[in-house]
Amino acid sequence: MASYTKAAQQWATFARAWYLIDGKLQPPGKLAAVSVIRLQGKHKPMYHALSDCGDHVVIINTRHIAFSGNKWEQKVYSSHTGYPGGFKQVTAAQLHIKDPTAIVKLAIYRMLPKNLHRRTMMQRLHLFPEDVIPEDIRNNLVEELPQPRKIPKRLDEYTQEEIDAFPILWTPPKDYRKT
Amino acid sequence: MVLLSLPCWLRSRLTDRFWRVQAVLKHARHFRGRKNRCFKLAIRSVQRAFVKTTKARRKKKSFMRELWITRIEAASLEHGLKYPAFIGNLLKCQVDLNRKMLADLAIYEPKTFKSLAALAQRRRQEGFLAALGDGKEPEGIFSRTVHHY
Repeated sequence: MASYTKAAQQWATFARAWYLIDGKLQPPGKLAAVSVIRLQGKHKPMYHALSDCGDHVVIINTRHIAFSGNKWEQKVYSSHTGYPGGFKQVTAAQLHIKDPTAIVKLAIYRMLPKNLHRRTMMQRLHLFPEDVIPEDIRNNLVEELPQPRKIPKRLDEYTQEEIDAFPILWTPPKDYRKT
Repeated sequence: MVLLSLPCWLRSRLTDRFWRVQAVLKHARHFRGRKNRCFKLAIRSVQRAFVKTTKARRKKKSFMRELWITRIEAASLEHGLKYPAFIGNLLKCQVDLNRKMLADLAIYEPKTFKSLAALAQRRRQEGFLAALGDGKEPEGIFSRTVHHY
């Protein structure tokens, strides 16, 4: 506080920050949970619902999100056009092909509080299917948030030294044949 | 005193109706629509508004507590602790700050709050050692409590 004047400190406190999250191989629900906290401003100690203290969130690589289980085939997104016979049901895989940002967008929209601030908070969310971001958004970014899920390594990503250093759990008998 | 004849009945008239009406309308001036001007609509709205004010005085207490908890949770997550861990360990250290003071400290005294978070983290580690350790290690320093009885 010694080097800031009070006006500069207040300006910095009420400024809107831009956060970046990489969605590669992440579950969209966990991405949404982290983003919703930042969009509402609940990560700030001076949070209040009326203060409009939410921040911007940029999510990249939404095309590469990863559902756990069989949700790509089993999760159904429903909508109705309003006309008779207009009830449409699409699986997550079909929706993802049609629009790669829609799954994350719907997940965040449904997690935000259901009030009039929701639309404003959705305006502050920016989704990109790949990691190509426009110049002006890239200049605004302040911090990259850690990914919510730890990505496990594939077998071919382990180095030979790590494979050798792994402890031997059991010794196969002499007449063991790997089928 | 019972007034028995017709001329006596007509003698007393209400003279301060204007002020009685104004006493109600002054509480309705900031309402929307005709209920800020017309008495019959205004008394209904004003009565409901007063009832809501009375009930809200109780709800304000729980709303403020929720707000303090949200703020403390945000501040403790900045220091790497979740809210239940923070509050529980502070209570175990006999730091009896209530949520209002903790929220105010989190906003206006960030360094103090950081030290409280560090205290809670240390007490948490000592609690884990006491629970999971073999009992051979000495007791934690911050786990000592003062008994007032």
